[in-house]
Amino acid sequence: MRALEGQLELPEGTLNGNQALADVEGWDSLAAVLFIALADEQVGVIVSGDQIAKSKTLDDLLSLLGDKLTPERPRSTS
Amino acid sequence: MKAFVAAIRSALPEAVLDNEQLASEYEGWSAAKIYAKTGIRSRRIAARDECASDLAFRAAQTLIADERLDPASVDFLLYCTQTPDYILPTTACVLQHRLGLPVSCGALDFNLGCSGYIYGLGLAKALIESGQALTLLLLTADTYSKLLNPADKSVRTLFGDGATATLIVAREQETLVGPFVYGTDGAGAENLIVPTGGRRRPVVAQAELLPDDSGNARTVNDLYMNGAEIFNFTLRTVPTAVEQLLVKAGIAQEAVDLFVFHQANSFMLDHLRRKLRIPAAKFVIAMEQVGNTVSSSIPIALQQALEQGQLTPGALVMLVGFGVGYSWGATLIRWPATSSF
Repeated sequence: MRALEGQLELPEGTLNGNQALADVEGWDSLAAVLFIALADEQVGVIVSGDQIAKSKTLDDLLSLLGDKLTPERPRSTS
Repeated sequence: MKAFVAAIRSALPEAVLDNEQLASEYEGWSAAKIYAKTGIRSRRIAARDECASDLAFRAAQTLIADERLDPASVDFLLYCTQTPDYILPTTACVLQHRLGLPVSCGALDFNLGCSGYIYGLGLAKALIESGQALTLLLLTADTYSKLLNPADKSVRTLFGDGATATLIVAREQETLVGPFVYGTDGAGAENLIVPTGGRRRPVVAQAELLPDDSGNARTVNDLYMNGAEIFNFTLRTVPTAVEQLLVKAGIAQEAVDLFVFHQANSFMLDHLRRKLRIPAAKFVIAMEQVGNTVSSSIPIALQQALEQGQLTPGALVMLVGFGVGYSWGATLIRWPATSSF
């Protein structure tokens, strides 16, 4: 999540898991591309655009990474 | 006889669309942000009455003049475009006449986007090495700007118009083009598409402007790109294609001197480069002044790499094209030790 904040140029601690993606500043189609890059680079998972489009919260998004998350992993809500 | 890439030239429209102009149209975007997200500073935009074939004609004329090529010697013309002059006739036939190529010349269009240059080289090699052609012109040109809605910054910041001409000739020497890896996945057709204008769905008069979740808007008559799905496709496809080509060629990745990928956007290219562990010095990024020029992006990048000394005589170069279709292709070319024809 901290890495995502970096990509979106948001201050650290801005994001939390229950937050609706629609309310995240800077979250748009370009951010979805940044998220795919991040997931590929950091955990080696290639996330699909459709899966991202269906994600409503940050937790939904992070759950797409499966069990390959670092210890920072929040509990999935989906 | 073996196919030999003898020369490449390009032609760009005059009008420049820079980030300052785009930033003035889109609230909350600055020129610096557009550059940071795309790696593009400016794109060239065709005039209202300027067709892709007009640009292709200019690129071919420059090549013919520079190489002192006798048009009468050209026995095949391949034209890659997705913005043809007409539904029919074939634009390559119109170009054959305009360029003064002989009536004994074969000519055909093929409709591919970002993978088009690889397919063009594959067709050229097949035609030459099977004895069907000796001197071939491979032209690429598109005017995607005419397919974009002004309210869609996701594509207007990326695409630029342009054309290239490549001269491919038969020579008695070692193989200089190939092997090839191709791929197609029509399941992705809807992710990069102009939905109307063909026979499946006619152009909709006074089509409704439809906004999306990212603050962009377009009608069904405009180009639509699902950037996230295209990126996903690229990550799934390009590294595999690179690996397959290395295996097919029987070489290690280190044996490749230069990598020229379709210039989609610099963020995607940087990511692919790191993922494939290619050193920056061996990787060409040539889109700052022209944007994503679709099937012309690889030859424009080759030409720029040559002019800037990044592409040197005798270099083994890997070319990878990928995009609309989905369609992809990869090949190797050995850049000639002497580039003059």
